[in-house]
Formats: sequence, C-alpha cells, structure tokens
Amino acid sequence: MAIRNGIAALCLVLLATPVMAQIDPLDELDSLAGASVDPGAGLVFARQQVVRGDLIGAVATTERIIALHPESDDALLFHASLLCRLDDPEGARAEIAELPAGRGGDWGPVVAACGPGIRRRG
Amino acid sequence: MAQALRRGLGGAFVIAMAGLSLGGVAIGAGGVSTVGINAVVYNNVRLKSAGAPQAHVAVVRERVGLGDEVQTGGRSQLQVLLLDKTTFTVGAGARVTIDRFVYDPSRGTRSMAASVVKGAFRFMSGRPDRAGTTSIRTPIASIGVRGTIVEGVVGPAAAEIAAGESAVGPRVRVDPATASLILLRGPGARTQGRLSPGAIDVTAGGRTVSVTQPMRAVFVPAAGMAPIGPFVISQRGYDGMRALFFPLLAQRLGLNIPGERPFTPYGNGQRNERPLPPVLYGYPGGDRPGRGPGYDTPGFPGSGQGFPDFPSEPQGGQGGQGQRTMSTTPQPAGQPSNAPSPKPSPTYSPQPSPSPTRVPGKP
Repeated sequence: MAIRNGIAALCLVLLATPVMAQIDPLDELDSLAGASVDPGAGLVFARQQVVRGDLIGAVATTERIIALHPESDDALLFHASLLCRLDDPEGARAEIAELPAGRGGDWGPVVAACGPGIRRRG
Repeated sequence: MAQALRRGLGGAFVIAMAGLSLGGVAIGAGGVSTVGINAVVYNNVRLKSAGAPQAHVAVVRERVGLGDEVQTGGRSQLQVLLLDKTTFTVGAGARVTIDRFVYDPSRGTRSMAASVVKGAFRFMSGRPDRAGTTSIRTPIASIGVRGTIVEGVVGPAAAEIAAGESAVGPRVRVDPATASLILLRGPGARTQGRLSPGAIDVTAGGRTVSVTQPMRAVFVPAAGMAPIGPFVISQRGYDGMRALFFPLLAQRLGLNIPGERPFTPYGNGQRNERPLPPVLYGYPGGDRPGRGPGYDTPGFPGSGQGFPDFPSEPQGGQGGQGQRTMSTTPQPAGQPSNAPSPKPSPTYSPQPSPSPTRVPGKP
C-alpha cells in the first residue's frame, strides 16, 4: 500500500514538473522581452494581451516596441488606444498630437477606443 | 487507492506551490535577490550591484538584483520587467535603485520600494495592489503608489518642465538638483480590464497631496517645501516627460529633451512665455531629417554619450549610437558586447549641485 502511495505521489509530481517549468517567472519575462523585438509580431502579441484582458501588459509591450521602433505609427496609435481603454483620453490626445501631419498608420483601434473625435489633433 | 491519490495530490500541490513561491519571491540562494530582468536597454545604461566596486554596462535580459543601482546617461533608457510583470522604466540621466521587492504570487501581493536620486522614472504596476505597498522616494518627496501608472523626473529636467507649467511658473524657489515632478498616468475611474483606478500620494514638506486623475502632476520644488498641485500637465510638459523616456521617439518627432541644458530660473520676475527654440537632434547615421547638434557634439551637456559620474569606459547599450540591435546574452562586467562605437565619449561637465535659488525680487 505504501509503495503504491509513493508511486502515485511520484507520478503526480512528475506530471506537475512541466507545469512548474512553464511558469518560471524569469523565463516568462525573457519571453515578454523578446516578444517586442519585431514591431509587427510585438503588436500581434499586444493585441492578444488585450484580448486576455491584460491591458497593462499590452501597454508595456507597446512601449517596448516604441522604445526600439519609434518609426512605427501603428505602435504609437495602438498605445494611444490603450490609454483610452485605461480612461486616459487626455494622454491619448497628447500622444496623437505628437504625430506628424499626414501620418498613416492603423487608426482602427484608436478610433474604436477613443471615438472618432480623436482624429482631430489635440 | 482513493486515499493514496489524495495523499499524492496533496504532496504534489505543496511541492508545486513551493516551486512557485521560490520562483516568485525575490529571495536568491546565493545572497543575491533577483527581482527582474532588463527588457529594453538603449544607449548608455549601467548597473551597479550592491557591493560591486563599479558599474557595468547593462545588457538585455540580464538579471537585475535587489539593490542594484541603475545609472543612465543622456538620451538613454532602461526598462526593467519585475517578477510580477511590473514595468519600471528609467529614463535619461538617472540613478535609481530598487530597495525592496517582495512578491508572493500565490497571494498576488507585492511590496516594493524604490529610490530615485535623479532622472526620469516610470512605474507601471503589473497587477492591482491587492495588498502590500509600493513607494518611491526622491531626495525630497515620497510617493505612495496604489496600483497605477506613475512617472516622474528628479533634477534639472523637472525644474525645466515645471517652470513652463502655469500652475508653477518661474517664480517658485527651486532646487534644480532635487526638484521632483510626479505625474499620474492612470488608470482613470472608468478604466477597462478589471483594473483599479490609479492614485498616488505625494508627501513633502510635511504635507501630502493625493492625485486620482490621469495627467495630473505634482511638483515639489525644493527640500522642505510642500507639493504644488495637482495640476493638469501641459502638452509641452507631457512631451518633455515623454522625451525623457523615449529618446529615439523624441528624435523622430523633434521633441525638446528637458534637462539637456543647465537649468536657469527665469529672472526679473517675468515668466518666459516664449516657446522653447526648436532643437534638432540628428540621427547619428545622418539618414534622417533634422540633423543638428546631437550625439556627437562635444560640449553639449547631456548629449547622449557623456556619463557625468562614471569612469571612462566604452559606452553602449542596446545598439547605442542609434543602432537598435538586440543583445540577448548577458556579458561579464566590463565586456560590453553592445558598445558599437569606438569613438571616445565627449566629456559631460556636470553642473555643480546648486543650492536652492531664489528669483531676484522675490522674498
């Protein structure tokens, strides 16, 4: 009986081990840092974070993209949309105002989050 | 058999929880407590471990320990991801230390304290502070943070930004060495994402000011003085803060970077309403418009390469000199792999730390 108990416990520990390995916090942080190296892939990841309800995580990811790729209008606009979701429309307008006139970029998320009036530069 | 399974399950649960806790709480086996990693390193960023004789060049994904002092030069940036996914960004010209970090993932609690001697910082909580505390100290103020996004700047850049704010103006007695400007960025009361609205309490000079709305700032001009505010920060002030955290973006958008020139309070009791002169910072490669006095301009304080307080070593960061390459392997101290330029760094002559100044004509 004791042997069977021990085997059962060992099996469960072995089953739990991959789970523990997956949630090593430092590995997870490494993955997060790596996710924003490429602006396109980073934005995809940030949108996934939004879908999961992790708005703060999405802001952090987007800020890493902006830090490394300031030319990405999509990242700047997506960051502004996140500010609106966080109820900081003034911050979003201030960031939009920084963008050069005649800018391109994906305005969909920012208009959806902030309203169509956001296109009028603050 | 059912009993055995229950026993086995209980044992596995305890082991799993122990693994989680040991992985999460900032307690290290070798006496060094890892609190996070460097997620973004740009330009001149160094880390000085507690007890180490000198700082070393920071690299991406390097582990950050409790008590490590972050030192950044002009136009530099470090983003640290802490174990609970809190983001702590350090902007230009900063000295910042994470003094305390205790994270219990099983309870979802985190307690953290950081001190900012000078420069720009930005704190973004990884999760709502259900329990525990977060506090940030500057030389003259303490900031109590409640699950929020907050940023601030200490030193001449703070004095420069605040002087342009109508709520502060140029007539306030300011100590440019320690002046502290703190800005709440959110979340606001109607935030999405099941987050708590952000709030900060700024204490200085025996008085505490609470800030509960995004884009509201508080300014502490000098030691012993009460906070001024909260006030809505201007577009120019916001741009200045942003330029300190995103130097490459500042170059792209042509934003003025506060604190790059010695701060002088506007005299004669008059407010300088003139807009700041345009500052054109060229991309080092010269492949972007707006080339002007920039990284390579000797004698331009804070122009990116000068480290006011560090011994002369190769400068670098994540791609330094505008080359944004990603280094993923931590390097031993003193052997930076990310120092791209063999050029000697222009010397930055730091301004002597002035005593609080008073504008002539004012009591």
